[in-house]
Amino acid sequence: MSSVTLRELTKQYAGNAGLSLDSVSLDVAHGEFICLVGPSGCGKTTALRMIAGLESVTSGEIEIGDRVVNDLAPRDRDIALVFQSYALYPHMTVFGNMSFGLKIRKVPKDEIKAAVTDAARILDLEQYLDRKPAQLSGGQRQRVALGRAIVRNPAAFLMDEPLSNLDAKLRVQTRAEIARLHHRLGATMIYVTHDQVEAMTMADRIAVINLGKLEQVGSPRELYLRPANQFVAGFIGSPSMNFVPMHVESIDGGIRVVSAGGDMDVNLDDVESAMIHRAGVSDVVLGVRPEHLDHRPRSGRGLQLSASVDVIEFLGNDEHVHLSSGSHELVAIVDARTPLTIGDTLTLSASSEAIHLFHPETGVALK
Amino acid sequence: MSQVPSVRERRTVGLLKRLRLSRAVVNVILGLVAVFWLVPTISLLVISLRPESLFGESGWWTVFTAPSQLTWGNYTTIFSQGFAAGGVLDSLTTSLEITIPVTILVALISSLAAYSLVFGSWRGRDWIFLVIVGLMVVPLQVALIPVVQLYREMGNLFGLNPYGTIPGVIIFHVAFGLPFGIFLMRNFLTGIPKDLLEAGRIEGAGEWKIFYSIVLPLALPAIASLAIFQFIWVWNDLLVALVFLGGNVHTPLTIFLYDQTRSLAANYWIVSTGAVVSIFVPLIVFFSFQRYFVRGVLAGAVK
Ligand SMILES: Nc1ncnc2c1ncn2[C@@H]1O[C@H](COP(=O)(O)OP(=O)(O)OP(=O)(O)O)[C@@H](O)[C@H]1O
Ligand SMILES: [Mg+2]
Repeated sequence: MSSVTLRELTKQYAGNAGLSLDSVSLDVAHGEFICLVGPSGCGKTTALRMIAGLESVTSGEIEIGDRVVNDLAPRDRDIALVFQSYALYPHMTVFGNMSFGLKIRKVPKDEIKAAVTDAARILDLEQYLDRKPAQLSGGQRQRVALGRAIVRNPAAFLMDEPLSNLDAKLRVQTRAEIARLHHRLGATMIYVTHDQVEAMTMADRIAVINLGKLEQVGSPRELYLRPANQFVAGFIGSPSMNFVPMHVESIDGGIRVVSAGGDMDVNLDDVESAMIHRAGVSDVVLGVRPEHLDHRPRSGRGLQLSASVDVIEFLGNDEHVHLSSGSHELVAIVDARTPLTIGDTLTLSASSEAIHLFHPETGVALK
Repeated sequence: MSQVPSVRERRTVGLLKRLRLSRAVVNVILGLVAVFWLVPTISLLVISLRPESLFGESGWWTVFTAPSQLTWGNYTTIFSQGFAAGGVLDSLTTSLEITIPVTILVALISSLAAYSLVFGSWRGRDWIFLVIVGLMVVPLQVALIPVVQLYREMGNLFGLNPYGTIPGVIIFHVAFGLPFGIFLMRNFLTGIPKDLLEAGRIEGAGEWKIFYSIVLPLALPAIASLAIFQFIWVWNDLLVALVFLGGNVHTPLTIFLYDQTRSLAANYWIVSTGAVVSIFVPLIVFFSFQRYFVRGVLAGAVK
């Protein structure tokens, strides 16, 4: 069993006033691939380093397998950490780098050789075993760093933005490699990234952290379809969800929300009206993803707005169109074949299923 | 195919020519400087290779017109004395007995101290380092007499007085070599990414293992330069040796040569021959350590 459990894990660095990690609780099942995502400085690396034993725990508990490891040295935790910087030993060959940990553990020579050869084959590094890290490309170094982790066959893999130093193409390639590796080894992996695309494509579950706090944990689909709050809604998905503050008005037969300038209005369906009733709010933040804004008029319930085009970003198959509607700025994704020029006025709509509602003060999604 | 070179090509050719010319000038200047520096050494070498009787008669440069002057005579005389006390070989041994332990101890202790100063997590590291840097300005001669007294006190207390012994000189040199050694090593070690040590720690390495398998190999260039400095400094030391070993039967080469110069007229051949011998050892050390002066040892570690 190599599950990893965090219980109200908290970290305050000496000399810092605030908490870098604030009471984070998380259960990672055996064999699960979990991604920690969040903006820069939110505490992802801190969490990973605490699990690895490189930072002390201020309060809370870390459990690996079924041992509480709070007071164990890094080497006794049976984990492998892949550093963002790779941290290869520059004076050792690729073989030396990959076998270092096994040599320390006094594994017999022939077993070391077998393990390293095996990992090198998986990672396509066989012809580089005698090279020094300086003689390798970035992608190859990355694979050596992975190989160093694999050969030890640890209870859990921890990875800190392992792809951030690679160029876009190599990143996609290595991303697939890591996913394949996960399937093959069936190992528990905790993977830190601030790239939500990486998280969406690789993770079984994603944990979104902001300012040291865990915002939501769930499958990529869950986070995309049912974000728990405005932060998660804005963080997952690219380009980010559009948010518009609205005012609630009663009309005969239901509820309507209207934007401040009155440029936008939505006739809500019964489910959504019920949500607003339950929350008892007179204002609400409306969220709609750019990919859900249709360049088509719509009748009946849902969102309807007209906006003028400010910027067009051509991406090949489609275009990201930045629009302004009254005092609000929005982004919509439209088919690139749509003839558009800057200054045009567009009519956009969204179905009521595509509409998210958030509490105006707490940002929590209305249920 | 033969075309008139374009303006651009002609310009390039001109630039190349000028570059080559200026490089030649630089080479000539460098050559002159080298000769200028080498003349005393070469003259010393030649003098040591000429018979004693010629010293008063003609200059050493006459050797270029009469190479038959050259002889190994002085060297055979010196070496035929063997290791008898008071001879060149005995002094050479004594010099090595002092210099080698000092060099090893300074390099080792400095590296360990720097490791702890850079990668340790104890409080007050920066203050201790500042104090050590401050110690570098203490002139050696200030400490001579107090240390002699301290040694005597040690003799009274423990019956072990290092004064007048080789370990006494070694202790003194190590103590005075450490501040600079620690300074140099610390500054070098701060360039080693902490990630490397943490990677080692996670893989199961203890502090010693990390020190000698990761940090020490990466610090070799710094250790090599420190060792060369330290070796040459101690090898050429006369003052400390005179104070602590003045009356000793076995004295280092510097004292040996110094003693000979006091009666130079009679002993010029021993001085020149002994001096050549004493130059030889640092040269060997320099050339055997210089291969560690590789740049970019850290390449490929991170990123
Ligand atoms: N050694 C330290 N001492 C003091 N504060 C620290 C230390 N390391 C990190 N912090 C602080 O803790 C917070 C979280 O840092 P952390 O490195 O975990 O962020 P991160 O989520 O990994 O960010 P990034 O995506 O930029 O890597 C930050 O505010 C940072 O300033
Ligand atoms: Mg980080």
